[in-house]
Amino acid sequence: MIISTNWLADYVQVPGTDDDLVDRLLMSGLNHESTTRVGDDTAIEIEVTSNRPDCLGHIGVAREASVLYGRPLHVPDPRPLEGAGEASHSIVVEIRSPEICPCYMARVIRGVRVGPSPQWLVDRLATVGMASVNNVVDVTNYVMLECGQPLHAFDLTRIRGGRIVVRRAAEGEPFTAINHKVYTLTERMCVIADAERPVALAGVMGGADTEIGPGTTDVLIESAQFAPLPVRAAARGLVLASPSSYRFERGPDPAMVDWASRRAAALMLELAGGVLERGSVIAGELASAPATIPLPAERVGEVLGVDVAETRQREILTALGFVEEPSAGPQTRRWRAPTWRRDCWRDIDLVEEIARIEGYSRVSENAVIAARPIELSPREVTVRRAGEVLVGAGLCEAMTRSVVTEAFAATASPWGETPPILIAPPLVRGADRLRRSLLPSLLEARGGNVAVGVDDADLFEIARAYLARPVTEENAASPIEEPLLVSLVVGGDFARAKGLADAVCAGLGTGRDGEARLVYRPVVLEPFARGRAAEIVLERRGHAAVRIGVVGEVSKAAADRFGLDAAVAAAELRLDRLDFTALLERPLVKPSDFPAMQRDVNLVVDESVRWGDVADAITSAAGEVLEECRLVQVWQDAERLGAGQKSLVVTLALRSATGTLSGEEAGRIVDAVVAECGRRVNAVLRR
Amino acid sequence: MTAVPLDSFRADLERLRADAETALAAATDAAALEAARVEFLGARSGRLKAIQKSLGGLDTSDKPAGGRHFNDAKNAITAGLEAAQIRLAEASGGAEAASIDVTLPGTPVPIGHLHPLTRTIRRVQEIMGRLGFESVDGPEVEDQWHNFEALAISAEHPARDPLDNFYLAVARGADPLLLRSQTSTVQIRVMENREPPLRIVSLGRVYRPDTADATHYPMFHQVEGLLVEPGTTMAHLKSVLRLFASSFLGGDVRVRFRPSFFPFTEPSVEVDMEWGGRWVEMGGAGMVDPAVLEAVGYDPDAVSGFAFGLGVERIAARRYGVDDIRDFYRNDVRFLRQF
Repeated sequence: MIISTNWLADYVQVPGTDDDLVDRLLMSGLNHESTTRVGDDTAIEIEVTSNRPDCLGHIGVAREASVLYGRPLHVPDPRPLEGAGEASHSIVVEIRSPEICPCYMARVIRGVRVGPSPQWLVDRLATVGMASVNNVVDVTNYVMLECGQPLHAFDLTRIRGGRIVVRRAAEGEPFTAINHKVYTLTERMCVIADAERPVALAGVMGGADTEIGPGTTDVLIESAQFAPLPVRAAARGLVLASPSSYRFERGPDPAMVDWASRRAAALMLELAGGVLERGSVIAGELASAPATIPLPAERVGEVLGVDVAETRQREILTALGFVEEPSAGPQTRRWRAPTWRRDCWRDIDLVEEIARIEGYSRVSENAVIAARPIELSPREVTVRRAGEVLVGAGLCEAMTRSVVTEAFAATASPWGETPPILIAPPLVRGADRLRRSLLPSLLEARGGNVAVGVDDADLFEIARAYLARPVTEENAASPIEEPLLVSLVVGGDFARAKGLADAVCAGLGTGRDGEARLVYRPVVLEPFARGRAAEIVLERRGHAAVRIGVVGEVSKAAADRFGLDAAVAAAELRLDRLDFTALLERPLVKPSDFPAMQRDVNLVVDESVRWGDVADAITSAAGEVLEECRLVQVWQDAERLGAGQKSLVVTLALRSATGTLSGEEAGRIVDAVVAECGRRVNAVLRR
Repeated sequence: MTAVPLDSFRADLERLRADAETALAAATDAAALEAARVEFLGARSGRLKAIQKSLGGLDTSDKPAGGRHFNDAKNAITAGLEAAQIRLAEASGGAEAASIDVTLPGTPVPIGHLHPLTRTIRRVQEIMGRLGFESVDGPEVEDQWHNFEALAISAEHPARDPLDNFYLAVARGADPLLLRSQTSTVQIRVMENREPPLRIVSLGRVYRPDTADATHYPMFHQVEGLLVEPGTTMAHLKSVLRLFASSFLGGDVRVRFRPSFFPFTEPSVEVDMEWGGRWVEMGGAGMVDPAVLEAVGYDPDAVSGFAFGLGVERIAARRYGVDDIRDFYRNDVRFLRQF
């Protein structure tokens, strides 16, 4: 909303400077955008919050100024001289959809001379950024900017059948607006029609055929109320937002419908001549039953934490236009809200009015806040621990968009088969589906770094993915699942990504107490290379085994697609399936004071045997004294080992919690290990 | 055989100890040290061994004391020998190893970095945590109730326009779902499930269809605080925000309220904080609207509360001097490594 200071002076004499006015308006709720000198006038642009349509006109802003400066407010009372004819003989108004147009008022002036506006009117409109059209149209704009009630002027002779019909548009109905473009309307919109066709898009824009032109002699002045939703549907749906639609979306003062109509008639008679027909034609009725609001005197102090004297409360509310109802005393005081303040209907609303005029600087900033203990949630602990581990490992945290393109979304998700969920509008161009994995986004981020010559961008991200649950009755209440993921993309091979995945799990404490363990199984899954990827399965006592992660080397095809030229590995873990350990209190295990024994074992097995099976055999055979089982070397040599065989060199660290192991005991344990490996994977000890 | 008197046994020990100290201190090379070791601690004919033999000649009642004295002396001489060995090793080692180019690079250790937005969020969480506010989290896909209705955003409010939100093609029955446009949704969820007193900060990603430019991005982060306790006033709100500002910005920062409008607070204010000598807009705040308290089943006559929201990108941009918030989402490690 742009205010002309010259114009404002018609209603209130502001004693201070423009800057002072701007400051006071700012501190009472009208945010300042800019101040511009226009000729001998000043344009002050203010931001009006959506609850204050009363300040979308100069009178409303003048009222604020009058309250802030304690100066009287002068609002004109237009009484245009009426002529001989009856308006009701010239036009019939019918409202077919009262829910979208509660009230419509028409006045008729015959015999106007359309021409240029006088300089004062041209200047005022120019200050607020509106071009002059002609004296009749300018009057409708002027009155709207004066009181906030939008008006429209029709060329009465072009209205067919002597009728105004307010109705919902028919689906697909065409309409030619003042800008001579043809629009296709929907049922959500409201039109003003004559006996035959739409002549205006209600509250938004007039029609080309009935617009005021140089030859217009008879004018119908429309002053009406339109509901916000149909106006918004038209303004947004057809990209036709106008000063009129802006105001109707916020709800002008219903009391201004008649005032604005009279004001416009008076100004038109003055500027364009003609004769005003007697009376007005009204359909519907103005819905305006101002609220009566109880306000016990102490309520203000209860909310603000600082008292405002009762006399001051009364002074502020009265100046703002609230009217005190008779009451028995301060505890039962009641106020009737003015018609232009439909945002005020509860005591809390009155408290805000008193506070914003009195000023929030009176509210203390030294109130006592009692201490209260808190704890981090398991999820928060989990997220932080995972981040600490990866930052500690040298990775940088990335943040990528939750919404991806069709090409990205096409990459399979490790977490579900259902297709990605579409959204509208797209987040950015082309990105219109919720991601089911963070991996494509992180690969793209690494590719972006390669593109600027940085080839060592090791990245991780902690964020959600979005999965549509299969459509079943059970899932009806929560059709979407939002797994919390940590993903990482690093240069290197499978072992590096697996090491990082293991570190995250270890950092979270997964499996530390033997209650749970992680199992790696080969998996074929985009964007990983075939034969170079695994799923990580959590096996937990008392729970079904569940996939908690995937890890692998990125396939050549995927690397090419994301602009990656070197070997890249990646992993993704379900933090929401790993957070169960976050708050686990485990009994401390006292480190043993007895010495450890190290034994190297060289096992020869078939090359198809997997380390995991060997490790399982060793672990189960060695029992509790096995402190560490480290794979030191894997080698193959057809001559020395035989074709199709491989050697696994394993270092076992053995330590007892209850005594020093003797050489014989260690030997027995190694023998048991070798025997178990022989039994399970046909391992042979190489001496 | 006459028993050896304890006093003379002790005197022998003391003499031995003094001689050993002198000899060990005098040794300037490994050979001299070895000679001293053999003389005093030699297993076969060392002087200590000789004295040990006379231990057996003590009177039975004197044996425990004699044993203690003997052990003390033995430990002292052994420690002296070790100290002398270290002294000689250090003296010779420094001279023998080749000197190094100390300007050669150390073994590189990769340093990871948390994202500046995460750092900012953590800092807010940490400060608010000290004030008793607990961090909470909730779904990003929301329904009409939590994103709008419970927050007193009526069906007619422009914020609900389909063009101003990211609606999902998937619905829950007849209830359209959308990406949340604010984290107040989480506050509603917490209030629905818990009774006051309550102090929480909800944080996370939110989504609004803005064209991306230097100050807007269609996905951004919010931190929103909520306190609901009996007798809460705007003075509590202002005091908490001043404490926050002083802690976040450092020093004795002042806070200013300007009247504003949000559907879910009444009164509503914009919060300015004094930063670098001028007022900077930090976010919105207000007293929780009674309609919101009622929507979650609280009694507005029994409890009151306040809420505030901060745009994480905005305060992070200001704090770190980032002039284009899109930089937060470019994931250029040359940017990320600076935090």
